Amino acid sequence: MTSSTGINKAARSLLLILLALLVPASFPAAPVQDTAPNTLGFEFQEHRLRNGLRVILSVDGRLPLVTVAVAYGAGTMREKPGQEGLAYLLENLMFQGSENVSPLQHVGFVQKVGGDLNATTTLDRALFYQTLPSNYLALALWLESDRMKSLAITPAAIEKTRADLLKEHQDRLASDPYLESFALFDSLLYPDFPYGHPLIGAGIEMWGLTESDVLTFHRTYYVPDNAVLCIVGNIDIARTRELVARYFDSIPPGLDIPAPPLPDFRQENEVVVSRSGVPASVAGFHLGYRFTPLQTGDAYSLKILEYLLLKGKTSRLMDRLLNRDRTAQHFSGTLEDRRGVLALKIFCLNNNAVMVERSEKAVLSEIDRLRTNSVSPDEMAKAKRLFKMDYLRSQSTNLGRALFLVDAAFSGKPMNALGGELDKYMRVNPSALISLVNRHFNLRNRVLLELGQR
Amino acid sequence: MRSSSRVRPGPALCLLALAAVAAASPTFAGAQERFRRTPPLPDAQPQELKLPPIERVFLPNGLSVATVYRPGSPLVTLQLVVRAGEIDSPPERPGVAALTARMIGKGTKLLSAGAIEDMVESMGADYSVEVLMDYTVFTFHVLEESLDRALFVLRFIVLDAQFTERELASVKRTAYYDLYNRKKSPEFLGWRQFLRTLFENHPYQTATYDEDVIKFISTKDVASFYARFYRPDNAVVLVSGAINGATVGKKIGLHFATWVRQPVERAVPAPPAPNARDRVCYVEDPNAADATVFVGNVIMAASDPAFFPFLVLKHVLGGTTQSRLFMNLRESKAYAYYAFSETEFFRSCGVFWARARVTPEFIVPAVREIVREIKALSAEAPVPAEIEEAKSFLIGNLPTRFESLEGFAEWMARVVALDLDEGQWDKGPERLKLVNVERVRAAAQNYLAGKPLVVIVGRPEWLGLYLREFDTIEVYDNGGALKLILRKGEER
Repeated sequence: MTSSTGINKAARSLLLILLALLVPASFPAAPVQDTAPNTLGFEFQEHRLRNGLRVILSVDGRLPLVTVAVAYGAGTMREKPGQEGLAYLLENLMFQGSENVSPLQHVGFVQKVGGDLNATTTLDRALFYQTLPSNYLALALWLESDRMKSLAITPAAIEKTRADLLKEHQDRLASDPYLESFALFDSLLYPDFPYGHPLIGAGIEMWGLTESDVLTFHRTYYVPDNAVLCIVGNIDIARTRELVARYFDSIPPGLDIPAPPLPDFRQENEVVVSRSGVPASVAGFHLGYRFTPLQTGDAYSLKILEYLLLKGKTSRLMDRLLNRDRTAQHFSGTLEDRRGVLALKIFCLNNNAVMVERSEKAVLSEIDRLRTNSVSPDEMAKAKRLFKMDYLRSQSTNLGRALFLVDAAFSGKPMNALGGELDKYMRVNPSALISLVNRHFNLRNRVLLELGQR
Repeated sequence: MRSSSRVRPGPALCLLALAAVAAASPTFAGAQERFRRTPPLPDAQPQELKLPPIERVFLPNGLSVATVYRPGSPLVTLQLVVRAGEIDSPPERPGVAALTARMIGKGTKLLSAGAIEDMVESMGADYSVEVLMDYTVFTFHVLEESLDRALFVLRFIVLDAQFTERELASVKRTAYYDLYNRKKSPEFLGWRQFLRTLFENHPYQTATYDEDVIKFISTKDVASFYARFYRPDNAVVLVSGAINGATVGKKIGLHFATWVRQPVERAVPAPPAPNARDRVCYVEDPNAADATVFVGNVIMAASDPAFFPFLVLKHVLGGTTQSRLFMNLRESKAYAYYAFSETEFFRSCGVFWARARVTPEFIVPAVREIVREIKALSAEAPVPAEIEEAKSFLIGNLPTRFESLEGFAEWMARVVALDLDEGQWDKGPERLKLVNVERVRAAAQNYLAGKPLVVIVGRPEWLGLYLREFDTIEVYDNGGALKLILRKGEER
């Protein structure tokens, strides 16, 4: 039976297709999550385009600014042996022009309207972001979509970018006598290639990269279904969704994006390495513990432990080595997260080998103290307040919120649980710390790299 | 029964379909949509910058309280501005202002420095001290739940400050090594020599001291400076965050009521005369990898009507990588790794400078190009399009400067400490919109037509290799002591 309009079923179907193609922004491409209930102090929404691009939007109308961040799952872990530096090279080539944007024009467009922009490459992502007046949101989306869709990679651009990056790397190596030791320490702490190799290797690998390597890497990983687009600022959600659909919806998805490699660490005993190839006046050490796999809640406990031991001048290790024992000239440490593999990393510089030994012993004795002695409520409260301050402070700007949301998206955490995340840190108790230290701080995952002559 | 031909879409519909598919989904078809070819226009109605007003009250002892309601974050900033900066150190004791500020929080009659540090960190607070040319700022960033405690601690460390020999020795040691280590930076060496030379025979030169002066400072010097300048009628307490200004004001009144009033005599120095002769200073840095060049002069204070036109000039000259200096020195001539222009404003004047990191063999041509670019601006004003582009950048970029907690606090402290008007708070965009070619031209002629001072930081051996073309060069060591004056044709 035909319809009364006189248009048959096939024609109607075709019209519906046409309508869908002509006004893609009118329909959500995928179910949209409700605004997540949260205690973050800001709200966000998430949806996905038909090509798989994950889009996160958050409104903050305090200032007439917007931050647009695009992160691709194209970090160093995607490089194969011999390709060290490829991810970083590609990050920089993203500023060398695309089909409708001339080389370095991306920077020019953003700066002309008063915006700031930057990019970084880490283990699991290449991240590009710009903050600019909110009435230029479409400009940022136009720029980002153009280089996602049609990056112009030429042999000349590769050559120039590679030469610039290697020169900068050499300058950094020349000005920082410890830089190489950090790379060596990472390779010991994460003893498999994807997780442990540096942003730029010795440089030889980068010279060996071909145009085909670059193009293949770009084609494989710089695709919408391997990316997160996050927009935070003075935006209207409906209008922003419309613009996002306009600029990104027609970019084709990638083909067979390989799954990110899983860590494969084989280590049964403590690794101790001494390295003397540093300036003769230098003595010191890197000490680290790698934590994988973790039980539920361990990551929250580790974070509070990091603050208890290392953050602030009165934290246990800072106070012990710099104020009380005074065995260290410089002491710093952090809890690092490499795609779910957490590691506590410590770096210490001393006057001589005797002080190195004393400092190492002091660090280990403070950790041992945590195996049996419960942390006082006051000390727990101090560590948590310092953490809470940093946690909230990191989200106090549009860019901070965008990076926080991108980070959460890459971590695989359920986004609608983010609102309760701070409470989980605040609920860590002394017994959880004792349990954590006894389970995870052992010789099987400890790495020590000593610098200078012993 | 309908014919089979009628169940198919007609040719016209097919064509329409194909066209629509091509237009709506060209990537899959290989073409690109028209909207991708040119950058989109901005939204017609840009959001105006609007900051909450600064509410001011004065307490009976003369202490001023400034609050700003800033919602959207559970963090609060508490600051104390004392109107005494590096310029207020006695001429024979430079550095006293900085050491006095560093001693705040290093002990009271009841609490040791360590105990105070523990109190601050127990609040989760971030505490910092910044000593500027004209004023000093003590800043606490805290969780809003800790504001009361932070007020208590601030009152405690400032009003009950004690200056012991032991703590001063420790503070002096840290200050000494901070200054000593800063000399590793060619940027710092150049900047310090630049100010030292521009402010010759002016009180602002007091701020350009070397680490060696630190050892002469005694507890008596610090106590005397504190007694003179740390007075309620010479200070402002600032609070910004999601706060109730009236309530916070009352609390501050209670905490600081015992602070004893005493009028502070403090004259604002007359602005220094700009550099008016050809002058090249060379600071030797044996470890320099490249040469660092500063070229600039004294300009107006931030309260001057020429302030906003000059900001436009500064941007045209070297505000970004798209500006004249960068495009010329790096992109066109490849003399420099970077080249930008900057300004800084004090109470009685400002300074502007171009700064470039230059390949050693191109020091002379790079300096000449920078001077030429500055002169070009004074000889011929930028074209309207260039001025509008600079204004667009400055208006668009302004909000990014106080988006962060730190940026907002710094902005607010500056406006309050230097008694600047609303043009320096959130009316900057309105003032910038009024800048036109005539005002830019006038600012250029008034402030760029003179002879800029040139300061170069580089290795000693580059003097003989690359700098022979300058008529006269004053050569300084990295502590700022004059070593010799080299004239053209003379060997070292």
